[in-house]
Amino acid sequence: MNSTLIWAIAGGLANVAVVLLIAPLCEGVLRKVTARLQSRQGPPLWQPYFDLLKLLGKEDIESGESPGVQRFVARLALAAVLTLACLVPMGFPAPMNGAGDVILLIYLLTLCGICTLLGGLAAGSTYSLLGIGREMMTMIALEPLFAIALLIGAVHAGSFRLDTVLNGSVYATAGIPWSGLILLVVMVLSFQAFVQKLPFDISEAETEIMEGPLVEYSGPKLALFKYAQMARLVVHSGLFIALFVPWGSSLPFPLGWLLFWAKVLVLVLLVTAVAATHARYRIDQAIRYFAGLLAAAFGALALAGYGY
Amino acid sequence: MIAREKLDQLKARWGAAIRRADIPSDRSLFVFVEASALKSICQYVFRELDARYVISIGADDRPFSGSFMVAHNFAFDRDHLLCSILTNLPADDPKVESISDVVPPANWAERELRDLVGIELTGHPYPKRLVLSDGWPDGVHPLRKDVPWNFVPDDYDDAREFKFDEPPEGCTVVPFGPFHPTLDEPAHFRLYVDGERVRGCEYRGFMAHRGIEKLAESVLSYNDIPIMAERICGICGCVHNVTYAQAVESAAALRAPPRAEYLRTIMLELERLHSHLLWVGLACHIVGFDTLFMQCFRIREPVMWVAEKITGNRKTYGLCVIGGVRRDLTGELKAELQQVLTRLEAEWQTVTGAVLKDRNIQQRTRGVGVADRSLVKEAALIGPVARAAGVDIDCRRDHPYAAYDRVAFDVITAGDGDVWSRVVVRAREVFESIKIIRQCLDKMESGPIQLDLKDELPVGRLGLSSVEAPRGECHHFVITGENNRPRRWRVRAPTYQNLQGVPVMIKDQQLADMTITLGSIDPCFSCTDRLETIDVSSGKIKVWSPEELLNLGRTKKTSI
Repeated sequence: MNSTLIWAIAGGLANVAVVLLIAPLCEGVLRKVTARLQSRQGPPLWQPYFDLLKLLGKEDIESGESPGVQRFVARLALAAVLTLACLVPMGFPAPMNGAGDVILLIYLLTLCGICTLLGGLAAGSTYSLLGIGREMMTMIALEPLFAIALLIGAVHAGSFRLDTVLNGSVYATAGIPWSGLILLVVMVLSFQAFVQKLPFDISEAETEIMEGPLVEYSGPKLALFKYAQMARLVVHSGLFIALFVPWGSSLPFPLGWLLFWAKVLVLVLLVTAVAATHARYRIDQAIRYFAGLLAAAFGALALAGYGY
Repeated sequence: MIAREKLDQLKARWGAAIRRADIPSDRSLFVFVEASALKSICQYVFRELDARYVISIGADDRPFSGSFMVAHNFAFDRDHLLCSILTNLPADDPKVESISDVVPPANWAERELRDLVGIELTGHPYPKRLVLSDGWPDGVHPLRKDVPWNFVPDDYDDAREFKFDEPPEGCTVVPFGPFHPTLDEPAHFRLYVDGERVRGCEYRGFMAHRGIEKLAESVLSYNDIPIMAERICGICGCVHNVTYAQAVESAAALRAPPRAEYLRTIMLELERLHSHLLWVGLACHIVGFDTLFMQCFRIREPVMWVAEKITGNRKTYGLCVIGGVRRDLTGELKAELQQVLTRLEAEWQTVTGAVLKDRNIQQRTRGVGVADRSLVKEAALIGPVARAAGVDIDCRRDHPYAAYDRVAFDVITAGDGDVWSRVVVRAREVFESIKIIRQCLDKMESGPIQLDLKDELPVGRLGLSSVEAPRGECHHFVITGENNRPRRWRVRAPTYQNLQGVPVMIKDQQLADMTITLGSIDPCFSCTDRLETIDVSSGKIKVWSPEELLNLGRTKKTSI
């Protein structure tokens, strides 16, 4: 084994550990700030850790149509996000960039969404099926956005390599990076949907379809799904930062690292503020909204093709 | 003499069929008619005289007059008149023509009187069990006088299942309730869903029956009942409390002293305040806007506190007795109430400012769950639902009671009949309530708060009362009786009528709009479910059978 491989593996594992550690804290911040916006005291910052521990310690109830698949999907959901974490820079350059390229990243992003679908399908209740119907529509409209962002980066950088693309390459044009700027706006407007927060938590919509795909999950399986969701917020933030606001990440160790997590915190606060001030969209309204963004993103891709 | 005029109109058209009539005051009219003409007269009153349908009542009057009785109540809102069309049916064959095909909003009320009193309705368009629980045997009617209040039939069959209708072709069934995060009380909607669209539904409710009417007619006394009546509903308790007292007072031709009337008005409006604040909050919660939900509840809390200071309770004020109220308002409390109102007004300005300008909320509520003027007529919808459709009815102005004839206020209406209009109507009504309470505090004269009643109340008199609850008109019908209690007491809560309009409102809507549409009538299932003599917890629980649970609930007095 050469040392590069060892470092890559160690870096990947470090990323996984950091995401697992920090994701519940981000959720805690989100809850606390939401509570303050709502004139509430709010739970302590570390409450999500306790919640996860409590759920993990509960009896594993098998309800739903195919318990085997459900058990598998719950693990797959978290695993997919964590694998994604190995490929995304978290304050350091992307650790496993030799192990995959941008295409793998796009696959993994899609896999995260598919886990929700599979989970709902395996549970088989009417409400889960309604939820995955909505999730599927959202995915079709939403998943191409990140893919396009990565593709534009790849076009500008002339490479599919992770460390090249995930370093602000969307702006790597000779003149004004129109495609990158358009996409930045598109991603800001759709970020809320990627992390499944209001006003786009349509596929779960507690007050309409009772958590949709997750309605049959409880105990440890629910903990895994919840953990995956929390991790998703961190990993997607990391990806967003690497693609669109990479400035300062090449600073020496403590500075660059701290700057990265400060950016993540800002993103989390932004997500919280938007979620606390919006009502949930209906699926048809959301799809219309995504369609507009998708059109803009394709426009940007075309521009990128011409070098803008 | 508007009551006399209406009677003359009826007599001119149906002279032979009208046996006798009673005009206790210019505000109410009782017309006793031949059973054979009941349907045509009701049709005439509903269609040609354009009255609003209120409720139908069945009563077992055999011990007193040897017959069963059916009454259909109507309201002439612009003429300030409540009208009851009554008929007697022979004891051995209680059968009458159903009016539901010509007066559609009577559908539930007729099914209910068939279930509970056992009066056969010929020609009912949908004669399905409504109120009785699934296992209750056919042919046993709990509101009959020969059925004791604690009667449990031997052949009660827990395993018997309710037969739902077949869903239309191409639709899947989505069960909504009995337990759902947005239903605070049990009710079951079987939604027929085609993709994301709701094509129809069947309602099965009445799951939390407490037999309150039966208890009132057989166990309680006149002044116990107000305490029981306010427990019909967790939100508009005071409304039932006042409506009942007024119905008995109107039957016995009593009038509460002026100060009592002002106090009733103040408490009713306080109740409307906290109910509307709660509703706007819940509506925001249903569409996922929890920040406003929390703010509404924060603003609402001082109203609960001041109610507690006045009456000793946040809810269940225990306000009325027959002929007055039990609690007075001291000068100190008056000042505090003024302060609460001032703060509330300022804070509510902020909230309504935010809500009424929010595009996001409008996107979720405009054009959703529409009830237009014709549905308001055909389903006899009331309260904010009717006013949101531009139908200008409000019992506070149309059938003034308590001190409402001495205060000035506006009846808020809107035009579109959708959920958004209902939000607007309720949000603005809060300001009117504040206005009313302030006027009452200013105008309230000192004096007694109760009548000094020495004699027994007269027997066999009929009384009606309509009160504008936060959700719409609450209507009570009373026949006074022996042993210091009424012979018959019928409660019609606003949700009873408004719920019947929901299937039309949600038809062809998105499933996502179902909860906010249902929420927009501000449903109160406990109000609707107030009848029934047996309480059975059903449910598929593996460890406990329903019977065991029931026994456990009855015997276990400490924690489990």
